[in-house]
Amino acid sequence: MIPSVNLKPLYWHPYITPVEVADATPAQLDAMKVTPSNKKISEYVRTLAHDPDSYVARTVLFNAIMYVEGGLDRADRELGALGASIVNGCRYCAVVHARRHAQLAESDAVVSAIYFDRADVLGERDAAIYRFARRLSVTPAEASAEDMAALRAVGMNDQEIIDLIHAIAIFGWANRLMHVLGHADLNK
Amino acid sequence: MSDAIDRAVGLNAEDALYGTRRLRPEFVDGAEQCRLSVLAPNDDQGLAPDVRFALAQRMAMLNNDAELQADYQAQLATLQPSDQLLALAAGASELAEPLATLARHADLVTQQPMNATEQHIRLLEQAGLSNPQIVALSELIAFVNFQTRVAAGLRLLRSA
Repeated sequence: MIPSVNLKPLYWHPYITPVEVADATPAQLDAMKVTPSNKKISEYVRTLAHDPDSYVARTVLFNAIMYVEGGLDRADRELGALGASIVNGCRYCAVVHARRHAQLAESDAVVSAIYFDRADVLGERDAAIYRFARRLSVTPAEASAEDMAALRAVGMNDQEIIDLIHAIAIFGWANRLMHVLGHADLNK
Repeated sequence: MSDAIDRAVGLNAEDALYGTRRLRPEFVDGAEQCRLSVLAPNDDQGLAPDVRFALAQRMAMLNNDAELQADYQAQLATLQPSDQLLALAAGASELAEPLATLARHADLVTQQPMNATEQHIRLLEQAGLSNPQIVALSELIAFVNFQTRVAAGLRLLRSA
């Protein structure tokens, strides 16, 4: 029996000084969506607002990949995100998306197995998704025809696999921001 | 209209996967807007387009993506790059500063992102990068690693 993992939320702290709202350019204010009723902007957003165009473009794509309706089940997208985050060493992203997976799946069995290094006990579908996520995330990617065949074998169609590829790939992006530009701990 | 990812994967309008990709227009348009935001930004923050393409070519190579490597090489060639930038793009390590620091950082974050620490950001600062340049560089590195994984996944899907 694998115990239940206790994943406390982490707080992210940047290695560079974030943009101060008072000093922000119009493009930065627009990117951060600063309004009279929304002046409290997270350090994460204020850090990335140093380059507002890429922040806005990526946020639009990220939200589409993780939240668009239909297609791949949202818990499966979170499992792809978790596999990528573990390979890339982004502890912050891993905890956020493990918690989301547990909420969406209404069970922490899958994330507990992963955190206690017991991916061998995952069901066939979760195992196929998690293995593909890990093998697509290393550099260079090691995902293979066998990994793709395993996704098909558990009943995934092309559109669902495209959703999964994007969920993994966007964490190849997000992990390289969060883990590189800052660090996470339990302190606010 | 085909885009950079279609070209990298070798997809034509008559391929089934070309149409399946477009069942998610927000992914296709979103990836293209992101590509423009890191490779042809309105405000390049002083990180010039030729440096960006040279780094992209280098990172495509580290990802074993010959198609994206060739695509970035062709785009770099249109910008009359210096010998130093051509060397950076081709993977050289003997480079003048600040290119040497940019290349080392791109290599680390592409290949072993888990090993990145605060010290690596301090090295970028010591090489003269401003905070906007550090963020713009990070977004470029991260984008190419996104794009190579989308391309790798779609190639597997097409041949499966």
